Amino acid sequence: MTTVNAPTSSTKSIGPTGKLLTALIVAGALFWLFPIYWALVTSFKHEEEVVQTGIHLWPEHFTFDNYSFVLFNTKIGLWYMNSLITSAAVTVIVLVMGAMAAYAISQLSFPGRKILWWMILASFMVPIPALIINHFVLMSQFGFINTWEGVILPQLIAPVTVMIYKQFFDAVPKDFREAAIIDGATELQLLWRLYLPMNWGITTALAIITFIGAWNQFLWPFLVTTTEPMFNVTVGIYQVTDAFGVKYARWLATATLAALPVAMLYLIFQRQVTQAIMLTAGIKG
Amino acid sequence: MASSVELQNVSKRFGAVEVISDLSLTVEEGSFCALLGSSGCGKSTLLRMIAGLEGITEGRALIGGTDVTHTPPAKRKVAMVFQSYALYPHLTVRDNICFSMSLAGERKAKQNERAAQVAKMLQLESLMERRPAQLSGGQRQRVAIGRALVRNPEVFLFDEPLSNLDALLRVQMRLELAKLHKELKTTMIYVTHDQVEAMTLADKIVVLDKGKVSQVGRPLELYNAPANRFVASFIGSPAMNFIIAEVISRKGKSIRLALPENGQLELQACNDSAGLQDAKLEIGIRPEHIHLVAPTDKRAAINGSATIVEQLGNTTYAYVETAVGQLIVEGEGSTQLSAGQSVGLEIDAQHAHLFDANGSVV
Repeated sequence: MTTVNAPTSSTKSIGPTGKLLTALIVAGALFWLFPIYWALVTSFKHEEEVVQTGIHLWPEHFTFDNYSFVLFNTKIGLWYMNSLITSAAVTVIVLVMGAMAAYAISQLSFPGRKILWWMILASFMVPIPALIINHFVLMSQFGFINTWEGVILPQLIAPVTVMIYKQFFDAVPKDFREAAIIDGATELQLLWRLYLPMNWGITTALAIITFIGAWNQFLWPFLVTTTEPMFNVTVGIYQVTDAFGVKYARWLATATLAALPVAMLYLIFQRQVTQAIMLTAGIKG
Repeated sequence: MASSVELQNVSKRFGAVEVISDLSLTVEEGSFCALLGSSGCGKSTLLRMIAGLEGITEGRALIGGTDVTHTPPAKRKVAMVFQSYALYPHLTVRDNICFSMSLAGERKAKQNERAAQVAKMLQLESLMERRPAQLSGGQRQRVAIGRALVRNPEVFLFDEPLSNLDALLRVQMRLELAKLHKELKTTMIYVTHDQVEAMTLADKIVVLDKGKVSQVGRPLELYNAPANRFVASFIGSPAMNFIIAEVISRKGKSIRLALPENGQLELQACNDSAGLQDAKLEIGIRPEHIHLVAPTDKRAAINGSATIVEQLGNTTYAYVETAVGQLIVEGEGSTQLSAGQSVGLEIDAQHAHLFDANGSVV
């Protein structure tokens, strides 16, 4: 009887250390959440209320004016579209290229394999902003300024994706590969039907991380796009400030709108990412 | 349909290390051949060379008379069951079984029809929608066999397929494999380090030692007439006893050997002993060919005292400490013997084997 009761009682009662830890975690979460709350609340205030002295945790007069202004007086719909297309393209291409490069380096035997791997590792050491002028000149020569291609191409340099995929592909027991080879699988079939589905967890995680990274890109799209219809959301926010002066509530409403899809994406897939990574760990065992 | 497998003077080297050395072997079509050997003897490498998963450094491999030395694995008409089963964890049992057909672009209806046939044969019908993680060891094993079966191979290759199962399940799966072979009549090559599996399943055993064939034969041939000391010691459980003895005299095939306490034993060699130079030979005698008698009995060739007695019900094993070392003796289940008791050992000379200093049978 005691053994049956023991787990129930231990899950119900939390000791003093547990309580302290819970309190600390809750405090940390609140501390982290406050700026988001503040931005959100401010976006529903009138501009006059925002610049008033004192801290007002809740709007005196609740308004959607800032949102309707941004939605109807700017090209935010177009910016959304640009962000969505370029981020999705970057995500798909980075994952496909990363997975294929990682598969080749991890599973195939060809001359120069090690050199290629070292080059990818070395490229990880070069900060992307250091290449920004070269990229600009190159895109300009290609005639890609103010185009989606111009926004997308330099963002495809993602050695981390190759490294992570390689690590996961290395961990797939070779029996799976050999069984599939005997079954008649080609290298491409091995990648698409075995290695990628068996590492679906890390693919989902990498897809979300890459998409969020591409969505949040500011410096490069800011440099490569100069006309309003080609802006993405992040550059668009800057445009709102620039064209209409410092208007905090409006600015934060734009920021909220810009961040909303990414936040929702993460919230929707959060559980899936965790589960998927656990599943991938299971395969390795 | 079954095909023969022939290896002609094959060698396999990994850098400077030679794993398989100038090995020739023929597995007749429809036979069940076991590659038996201790860990690291090259038996799995040999199987992988037949499958095409390892290249052949020298020599040729033929399946059904066709040279497949440079043929990719998928085109060799072989199917392999791996020790780890290698079931794709993200696919259901059905999809695992249909994987090869799906890769080949076979129609879904045809895939399902063939999968159903295999599932019926292996009693997998109720498990078709499960994933490998939801199956027991025995079920996984059956799915792995099903995945091989669905390809209609001419040669089945098994790489220690039962080693991950518990003892009881191993016996059960062994029977199922034997039934499957009887039913399909396909050539099967089976790698194992377990001599019981090899003896019970195979009609031909190839004993490998350090990348070379030590002996090829039917199970009882290897047991009753081992070609060398390695095979003699490897086949049989408990292992054969070995006694080093001095040669007193030899005449034709008859050799007289000295035993401790002025004992003597006359044995028949396989060949004429005229050319034999060794002053000492090794007697090999299986536990069931040594009989327990009273120490004073005239039949006792060696005396000793029992150190450990294992009573297994149907049989009794006694570990007897003698002047020539410890000997294992097999007695009847009803044998009354206690540790520390003095015993006499009668050696059944008819069943004794003689080995020279190189380990070759004399």
